[in-house]
Amino acid sequence: MIRAKELHFSYTGTAPYILNGIDFEMLAGEYISVVGDNGSGKTTLMRLILKMIKPGTGSIASSAQRTGYVPQRNSGADSGFPITVHEMLNSYRKLLKVPDKNAVRENLKLVSMSGFENALTRTLSGGQSQKMLIARALMGEPDLLVLDEPSTGIDSASREDIYRILKALNQTKGMTIISVEHNLRAAVSNSSRIYHLSGGRGHICTPEQYVAEYMNRPGEFGDV
Amino acid sequence: MFRYEFMRNAIIVSALISVLAPSIGIFLVLRRLSMIGDTLAHASLAGVTLSLVSARNPVVGAFVFTAVCGGFIELLRTRFRKNADLILPIILAFSVGIAITIMSSGRLRVNADSFLFGSILTVTRTDMALVAALGVISVLTVVFLYHRLIYIAYDEEAAAIAGVRVRIINYVFMVLSAAAVSVTIRIVGVLVISSMITLPVATALQFEGGFKRTLILSVIFSVIYIMAGLVLSYYLGVAPGGFTALVSVAGIILIIMGKKVHKHAIRALKRAG
Repeated sequence: MIRAKELHFSYTGTAPYILNGIDFEMLAGEYISVVGDNGSGKTTLMRLILKMIKPGTGSIASSAQRTGYVPQRNSGADSGFPITVHEMLNSYRKLLKVPDKNAVRENLKLVSMSGFENALTRTLSGGQSQKMLIARALMGEPDLLVLDEPSTGIDSASREDIYRILKALNQTKGMTIISVEHNLRAAVSNSSRIYHLSGGRGHICTPEQYVAEYMNRPGEFGDV
Repeated sequence: MFRYEFMRNAIIVSALISVLAPSIGIFLVLRRLSMIGDTLAHASLAGVTLSLVSARNPVVGAFVFTAVCGGFIELLRTRFRKNADLILPIILAFSVGIAITIMSSGRLRVNADSFLFGSILTVTRTDMALVAALGVISVLTVVFLYHRLIYIAYDEEAAAIAGVRVRIINYVFMVLSAAAVSVTIRIVGVLVISSMITLPVATALQFEGGFKRTLILSVIFSVIYIMAGLVLSYYLGVAPGGFTALVSVAGIILIIMGKKVHKHAIRALKRAG
């Protein structure tokens, strides 16, 4: 689904590189969590997958027909922008040229947000807002879902709800998911594999291998 | 007052402006670009003076010069993101510089005051046709780009990922803003254009509704403000621009106060109940 070869990237175009020779392959149907310290290049890798930026050298390619994206925090939701949940999702449906008018209602149901159609987006809690963004990302029936720290700033009940939804999408619908994660416990419990970024380089492992290798480090699980 | 042709022209032009100004204004306000409206208003004055000195139609001149300035602002905003706040004062100073230089040179055979303060006496049939053409094309473009404009204002990144050509639409939006400013200049004048573009939207935002509701309310308030300003200025014998601004400010203050009274009344009822 995604293949990166000798991928180098820096925002200046020259060394030092944020991503320094990434070789990475993700298969269809996988759920990969990308973890690493702040500034390790997690979000940069995500932006490269989404083609928001271009690689310096090397390559990154995705065979996904449609890609859904769930941002970390939605700037519009906090700015007092006057828009209802239905308007927000329906406009996105129109942008993606999805003809099914029921898609808004169905996707809200999928993320347990039925009944919120007429609510203003700015009145939603962090968890509800995140679920709405997942519903938006599902609008074009994507085969690849990219998420940027889906549980940051969200209460524990909503967090559980969100990971339950993501796991169901991956396991029952076969949706390929790549999620930049700060929540290591969620990464270990939900992912099929974990991609650990450090010093511009990556290392892929199973959740079990990740726990064995990193769980004894002080503070690693302290915040989850 | 309807027996005078100039008044009928002014009312038709005002009706068009009432719809166009908030339709563009809502996106300017929500993208926090209200200052661009002010800069474009000053650019339109430079366009007017350049047209008058070269004996061309001032509405056309205002539109062309303002559209060029709008495109230039967008180009500089994307190229020099770190210094984006300096771009508007530079364009504004350039435009005001041109306008004042021409106006003070004594080469203008026409009085440019009507473009500064607004006028109902000087709206000709040609102006009316131009305003109608620009207004209708602009409103239709907003309708056509409606969902794309909403998304660029709400979440530009998500719009780009959904395949919206954000840069091109931003340029189109600048041209639309230029059109809104250059047609509004005829009635309300340069000095209060940005208020006329933003105040009806600011009033509508007080009702805390969704996007469509806010847009409809903005148009309703715009019609009320501009028409009330026009009619009252006619009977008082003053320039419509200034009086329309006063009506708008009075309107928004009344709505804010009404909202507060409503909140207090509900709280008092809850306490009593």
